[in-house]
Amino acid sequence: MEASLPSRRIRLRPRNRANTVLQVTLITLVLLTAYGLVTLDTRNIDVFAALGNMFNDFRIVFLEARLERLSWFELFRELMITVGLGLLTTVTGGIIAFFLSLFAAQNLTPRQVTDTVKALMAFIRAVPTVLWVLFFAVTTGLGSVAAILGMTFHSISYLVKAYAETFEELDSGILEALRASGANWWQTVFQAVVPSTASALLSWTFVRFEINFSVAIAMGATAGAGGIGFDMFMASAFYLDLRELGVFTYAVLIFAILLEWTATRLKETVGIKRPV
Amino acid sequence: MSLLELHSVTKRYGAETLALNSITFSVQSGEFVAIIGPSGAGKSTLLRCINRLIDVSEGDILFNGVSVPKLRGKELRHHRTQIGMIFQHYNLVNRLSVLENVLHGRLGYKNTLQGILGLYSEQEKREAVRILETLGLYEQMYKRCDQLSGGQKQRVGIARALVQQPKMLLCDEPIASLDPSSAKVIMDTLREINRTMGITVLVNLHQVDVALHYAERIIGINRGQVIYDGPPHALSNAQIYQIYGSEAGELILDLKERYAA
Repeated sequence: MEASLPSRRIRLRPRNRANTVLQVTLITLVLLTAYGLVTLDTRNIDVFAALGNMFNDFRIVFLEARLERLSWFELFRELMITVGLGLLTTVTGGIIAFFLSLFAAQNLTPRQVTDTVKALMAFIRAVPTVLWVLFFAVTTGLGSVAAILGMTFHSISYLVKAYAETFEELDSGILEALRASGANWWQTVFQAVVPSTASALLSWTFVRFEINFSVAIAMGATAGAGGIGFDMFMASAFYLDLRELGVFTYAVLIFAILLEWTATRLKETVGIKRPV
Repeated sequence: MSLLELHSVTKRYGAETLALNSITFSVQSGEFVAIIGPSGAGKSTLLRCINRLIDVSEGDILFNGVSVPKLRGKELRHHRTQIGMIFQHYNLVNRLSVLENVLHGRLGYKNTLQGILGLYSEQEKREAVRILETLGLYEQMYKRCDQLSGGQKQRVGIARALVQQPKMLLCDEPIASLDPSSAKVIMDTLREINRTMGITVLVNLHQVDVALHYAERIIGINRGQVIYDGPPHALSNAQIYQIYGSEAGELILDLKERYAA
């Protein structure tokens, strides 16, 4: 029995390719971090004074928030422009994505078609929303049109993936039962697929709306699409008014919370939509 | 003329697997036939070839004089409306009401738009409610299907098949997921439908004793081949063991009852 004991130290993990790669990667990252810290150019900034300034700015933004340039009504209107941008791109994207996703679900459409649609969508999704907006800006110029086109484009690719995967989780027996009774493809989709997946579809659409809302804020500033994002940009970079920036931040925060609350409520309602 | 005729029906999956091997039999209108055999014998495949949920590889199926394997599009849909199907897992749309699920049986008669929007005629709705009433589900009409018990779900499945006004019912393991008392209700219902409405019933069963008790005719299948085709009383124990491919005494069966009855 003694012969079976290894003479070397006993390793806890097997010495294989995956473990070696992991160790080499970790060690490289540690070395790079150390090198970065040593060679960091601080430009003689006093770290503690800078931190103090930062917290002072935070205090102004969050504790002394007040409106100066805009009225409350204008603030609300700007917020609604941003919401509108997010809503429009989500709804348009959602409707187009629904029909496309039917051709991307393997249990509804032949494999060759789904592979083509999925590959196309993966390509669109791989390019970030901002780049699509800039891409469309070449023809339409920077502004709300480019923002809407670019955001819709990316929403479609995102929702097609989400919807198609939802459809694919559907119990195949239900589709079989409807086909067996003589129902055709469109009837099966609307009588079995949609009712069974409605709440999941809605929940994915809301996730995308939340994403589009925050993207719409960014687009307001970068693509000049208007809305509260543009005002935030103006307040911070042009007027250097941190107090107004605070109000905008609160407005966005409150709206985001409202959105989350509505989404939860809506999902509950759809879940038990039918009379008991 | 027979309602259903199968001529050397063969189904291959790939080059190797032979799910059905030259199956030939015919079913007269009004018969109650049970198909028995071990898991993987090809019972489900056989039923699905009859309503073309699965395409046959070779052979011909005649239903009501029409050759089934070549049907396409509208003709195939029409063929399927004449055959109701009942499943082991009920296959109902859980989020819809009982009535909506039953009316799915009418989709084969509707055009695409009517089907998409769920526009059923008053007469169709009346018929659906009447069928639900005879199956004892009138109270459950507006309940969502996920609130029903297994036995109730299977009765909804039967109602969905009946609303098609079919000539034949294909039942794929209809009682395999049910408790004994619900199973009895379902089997009694199927026999009642067969006797009073004259609808031909073809039922796949795991339970040999149930098959012997209810069916007028037994078809035993093993490895895609018909081993036995005849009345239940002529089926010997030796033949049952042959169908299930096991030695005597290895099956969970109490066959004394059939002689006592």
